[in-house]
Amino acid sequence: MKSYQLTIKVDDKQVVLERILQVTRYRGFLINGINAEVNTGTNIGTIELMVRSERPIELLVDQINKLIDIKEVKVDNNTTT
Amino acid sequence: MANEKKQTGGSLLFNVMQQHGVEHVFGYPGGAIMPIYDALYDSDIQHFLCRHEQGAAFAAVGYARASGKVGVCLATSGPGATNLITGLADALADSIPVVAITGQVATSAMGSDAFQEIDIFGLSLACTKHSFQVTDVNDLPKVLHKAFAIALEGRQGPVLVDIPKDIQLAEITHSLEDFSKLKNMVKLPPANVGSAIALLNKAKQPILYVGGGVGMANAIDELRAFIDVTSIPSVSTLKGLGAVNPDDENYLGMLGMHGTKAANIAVQECDLLIAVGARFDDRVTGKLNEFAPHAKVIHFDIDTAEINKRRTVDAAILGDLKINLPALAIPLSIVDWQQKCRKMKKDFAWDYNHPGETIFAPAVLKEISDKMPKNTCVTTDVGQHQMWAAQHMLFDDPSNFLTSGGMGTMGFGIPAAVGAQVSRPTDCIIAVTGDGSFMMNVQELSTIKRFQLPVKIVLIDNAKLGMVRQWQDLFFNGRLSETDLSDNPDFVMLATAFEIKAKQITHKDQVSAAIEEMLDHDGPYLLQVKIDAKDNVWPLVPPNTANDKMMEST
Ligand SMILES: Cc1ncc(C[n+]2csc(CCOP(=O)(O)OP(=O)(O)O)c2C)c(N)n1
Ligand SMILES: [Mg+2]
Repeated sequence: MKSYQLTIKVDDKQVVLERILQVTRYRGFLINGINAEVNTGTNIGTIELMVRSERPIELLVDQINKLIDIKEVKVDNNTTT
Repeated sequence: MANEKKQTGGSLLFNVMQQHGVEHVFGYPGGAIMPIYDALYDSDIQHFLCRHEQGAAFAAVGYARASGKVGVCLATSGPGATNLITGLADALADSIPVVAITGQVATSAMGSDAFQEIDIFGLSLACTKHSFQVTDVNDLPKVLHKAFAIALEGRQGPVLVDIPKDIQLAEITHSLEDFSKLKNMVKLPPANVGSAIALLNKAKQPILYVGGGVGMANAIDELRAFIDVTSIPSVSTLKGLGAVNPDDENYLGMLGMHGTKAANIAVQECDLLIAVGARFDDRVTGKLNEFAPHAKVIHFDIDTAEINKRRTVDAAILGDLKINLPALAIPLSIVDWQQKCRKMKKDFAWDYNHPGETIFAPAVLKEISDKMPKNTCVTTDVGQHQMWAAQHMLFDDPSNFLTSGGMGTMGFGIPAAVGAQVSRPTDCIIAVTGDGSFMMNVQELSTIKRFQLPVKIVLIDNAKLGMVRQWQDLFFNGRLSETDLSDNPDFVMLATAFEIKAKQITHKDQVSAAIEEMLDHDGPYLLQVKIDAKDNVWPLVPPNTANDKMMEST
């Protein structure tokens, strides 16, 4: 199992968090932790998602990137547990 | 602004649809979508009342696949909306551009477990490409434009727009010229053309593995030009059938679980596999780590997420096939390999000899394929009859073969034929169905009757859930659990009740005349073809087995 931290920039839409969580679960990633806040000035949300999986993180990054309201996905660290 | 006028959300919906070229929609009314149906009453858009929302969703899918346009379906809230879900899932799995409009209870009632309230927006997350719920009528124009753009953009797919009843009724002043195109948000990495050319030049035994993406990208001409220049042997997925010219001497047919022996062996032996708009589905690869074991891989796709998803690739060519295929079209010197492939194609050609008097479904489907008019569009249901149609009928365009690939949804064939016939009123539309699948959306015979759609239905009747029965016989010790359908209704009488001309045949010597009668008939027609319940689909690659270890008989 590897753990990863993703930083995801999104348009501030109600459902965006639900979409990210759904994709994360469906693609086989477990969630270690989550942090989400919105910059009300820019209407851009920042979601920090800590996940773990046997699968390569690119699989999840590519799928999250396909969601319509996503601006950017970054993998911040890459630690084995 | 010019053209500015006051209208309700409901009438705006149809005006925006018209801006996107929508002429036909499929649906079913109910309480929470009544203002939209009221607006429809004044609209020039033609509505086709299906007899189940699943039928409406599949009609929209069939319409989209047969025409290349966006298919549109409408349903009310609650059960109407949930009835659409199977169709949306099917459209997602096969990347079909569909816009589904659902009514919702009024915003003031939302979240109160109101009558016919279901969170279809939440339900849509797993079965659409994207979805919207409109809570302010001023957002409606932008949302609808986006819905059409997203359905068609990049890898196509279904989009759902949930519209509460008060939003349908609310007035809005809006200019119809206001038409914003969504930009492709996913930046594609540059195509790896250099390494792909190097791989091509080195290859001695390359195979082109053609998927449904070629048709979706409208790149049939570019694909055929690529094949002309390279003379590369090719194979096709179920959804790719029709992309390669079926008369191409180096074309080996479908690969995968029920693929031809030549196609599967060639792929297993190839040293370079060029996947074009294909996604290494498990029904194609068989045992994944033994699939094309000696091959380097070039993968053309529009969806970044398909690269390295199931097979690590050596060169990824992301982007529009119309641009990327010509960039790689270079002559190859692979004469020995071509000869080997052509020899396999000849040695393993289909054998239509079938002892006895009972009808042999592959021969029937081949004869229909030989006799059907040009530009016939065939739809199928799911099961043995589907695989026989894929194996034994020839198509010259993917929009002429509509089958539920990714989802394998029984009940697809009849409503998809309805949609196909609406989009192509002068073309011959043939639905190849099974006795199990037919009953799953049999209510759409009513839609065929109402609109006098001249759909031809070929019902391959083995009085069984044949495909499941085949697996029970092969892999579950012949324990035939719940696959017998010997108490089926009288299908001829059933069709007749919908004023559809129908005939049953049981013997080989009746086949040719019956096919001609069906094809010559002006209106809808059902041909019930009784076959032996024990006939199997061959070849078959057993589960978790390499594709060259196919079974060819019991
Ligand atoms: C909606 C749905 N339910 C169940 C299945 C599983 N299934 C696949 S093929 C098949 C049998 C289909 O029977 P029929 O339509 O008579 O076709 P046949 O195989 O006999 O030609 C079943 C039950 C499915 N694909 N879709
Ligand atoms: Mg059957």
